[in-house]
Amino acid sequence: MRRISLLSVAAGVLLLFGTGRSAPEASAPDPAVAAAFADSTMAGALAGSPARQPRWGALAEDCYADAVALAALQGAPLGGVAAGDWPPGAIGGLIPPIRSVSDPFPTFDGMAVDSENDRVIFSDENRHSMLVYDRAAGSFSNDPTEPVQWVVGPKTRLGYIAGVEVDPKRKEFYTVNNDSGDLLTVFGYGDHGNVEPKRTLVTPHQSWDVSLAATRDEIAISVQQSNAISIYRRAATGRAAPLRTIRGLATELEDPHGVYFDETHDEIITANHGNWTQIRPYTAYDQRATDVGEYKSGAFHPSSITFHAADANGNVPPLRAIEGEATGLNWPMGIDVDLQHDEIAVANYGDNSIRFFRRGGRGGQQPLRVIRGAATEIVGPVSVAIDVKNDELWVANYGAHTAVVFARAANGNVKPKRIVRNAPAHAPTCGFTNASAAAYDSKRDAILVPN
Amino acid sequence: MFARLANGNIAPTRTIEGQATHLSRTMHGLAYDDVNDEIIVPVALGGALLVFRGDARGETPPIRVIQGTNTRLVRPQTVAVDPVNNEILTADPSMRAVVVFDRRANGNVRPKRVISGEKTGLLDIVGVAVDPVRDVIVASSRKGADGPTGLFIFNRLANGDAPPKAFIGGPNSKLAHFRQVAIDPTTGNIFLAQQNTEMKRPEAYVLDKLREDFTERDDEGDGGSLDRMGFVAVYGPDDHGDIPPRAIIKGPGIRFAGAAGVALNPKKGEIIAVGGNGFQTFLVPDFFRAFVKF
Repeated sequence: MRRISLLSVAAGVLLLFGTGRSAPEASAPDPAVAAAFADSTMAGALAGSPARQPRWGALAEDCYADAVALAALQGAPLGGVAAGDWPPGAIGGLIPPIRSVSDPFPTFDGMAVDSENDRVIFSDENRHSMLVYDRAAGSFSNDPTEPVQWVVGPKTRLGYIAGVEVDPKRKEFYTVNNDSGDLLTVFGYGDHGNVEPKRTLVTPHQSWDVSLAATRDEIAISVQQSNAISIYRRAATGRAAPLRTIRGLATELEDPHGVYFDETHDEIITANHGNWTQIRPYTAYDQRATDVGEYKSGAFHPSSITFHAADANGNVPPLRAIEGEATGLNWPMGIDVDLQHDEIAVANYGDNSIRFFRRGGRGGQQPLRVIRGAATEIVGPVSVAIDVKNDELWVANYGAHTAVVFARAANGNVKPKRIVRNAPAHAPTCGFTNASAAAYDSKRDAILVPN
Repeated sequence: MFARLANGNIAPTRTIEGQATHLSRTMHGLAYDDVNDEIIVPVALGGALLVFRGDARGETPPIRVIQGTNTRLVRPQTVAVDPVNNEILTADPSMRAVVVFDRRANGNVRPKRVISGEKTGLLDIVGVAVDPVRDVIVASSRKGADGPTGLFIFNRLANGDAPPKAFIGGPNSKLAHFRQVAIDPTTGNIFLAQQNTEMKRPEAYVLDKLREDFTERDDEGDGGSLDRMGFVAVYGPDDHGDIPPRAIIKGPGIRFAGAAGVALNPKKGEIIAVGGNGFQTFLVPDFFRAFVKF
């Protein structure tokens, strides 16, 4: 088994950005820091892989997350604006920060369990990677859990990835970039390191989740900004157009996140945050629109779970919806369906819970059961997966560096059976997802960042 | 929210999150009103502006919500506050407009002014700031490969299809893929966060249709490249034209994702640059001094 040390990677990144030099000196490679970085990063981690060694050099150079800093440490030419004396006569220049806040560890986001091949696959939004673990992985150790595969680096074309799907038959896993590159990427079970995806599909901006309908040979993708579900052929690549798209006011799709293609009941099930607004051409490449149709203002509605016919196309209403105060839905993220027990599990980010509903339910029903409380170690859950074969339930935490595994029928404030860690126990997380603005609160001497 | 002195891998000291807050993604702006102790946030996916108390935490509802048919808002992405003139300003790229509301507005209200139209030059407006001392609004706006892309400076009371009084942009400025803009009220210096020195690539889809001229390799995301790294640029209040910045922070200090957001702490001479999954603080007191006029 490959040995991949998450701790050593993170140590290198912290050294890079936590040097605390004072401004305004030009930053220069620090030999001590450079040596520590070289010793501590993925070099050792990947060297243990007979099939891959010695891949470290190429991998490190290619890994875009650290490419800039690594180049600086190694004295490599920066190129572009950073390399020259532009702008002429300006003050400042190559200035190191006096403080830097970031999380050097992966964060779990989307997740899929393959009980046929005993793998669990996570998307890592923070380090732009995919981590694959043995299904039986996890313990109560304080140390990070070693993945068996780690797909990371610029060749992977992974951006701010979200949902994950798995195809056990073909031994492939999928993810979608929610930001920074409008792509669905597909990797094989043998993929590891800085590898190109097996195939890619251009997707709408702000795609969030992907679900496979193996028999229909289709995939469904949720799209936040256009409040839509687009269905493509499973093997679609490049610029292939969707087969159909569920979109429009009547659909009740509102800031959709988790999606599940239920082939048994011919339904597409979607978790919605309830935010809605029109979409118009808005980018720098779109002309000023003159005919934008009827104006509809934005709205905030309750979160919901919507059910659409699998063949739905266009502005069609859902067959039914689970919605209302009694549901306790609060920023529902990923969902999974247990067809054997006829239940839907929802990762309810807003109140740190997993909520279970009858699959055929509708309206303001109460959940069948709720896993929630301090003992559960559920913190900011973004995805959930039901493993009927092994009678387990997996929860990926975004608010902590963990995934927690429960008995499938767990209920209430129960302890997990085991924990998968992508960082040492108690390592904090900043919680950023492509943060793009800030403000300074002078009353509290605080920095505010919307995420 | 983080303490100003936060450093390293650290959890926020306070968060506002959950269904009742109405927050969502695509919050590309944020303003803190230190006179009234309020936080103003645009919510693009809800077509709204939210106002929270300065000490809000947890699943706290906003104290005011600007949303509805009278607002004409579609997808507001960034925001500024003018506590002197009691106004909130937002930039909405879907409206191709800078929209001004009364600071105390709540509900389905009409804007006080809307700056929009061909003469304004505004298109993909990603940043807005206001200087109540010099009575100007500064908007950062991008337009494809052929511009105009840069900083558009308007009279504060501009309304309708009004041309900017000044514009900073052009090949010498190297302005391309930028976002948030901020103003130091004492000097009037204008600060701009730029993610990349190449223009942001087109998105694959327009609404639900593939963009005709989109090629897959076009879409390489915002990941940094050594020769395209962004920067934080600073200009004087009277600067105009195709000029380089007066001051700059560039290089690996602003990390791989460039700078998408910028916040100022003039008292301490600090700039906070946000990009990707982190933020950095730079000590640059010289950036808060008045520049000599060209």
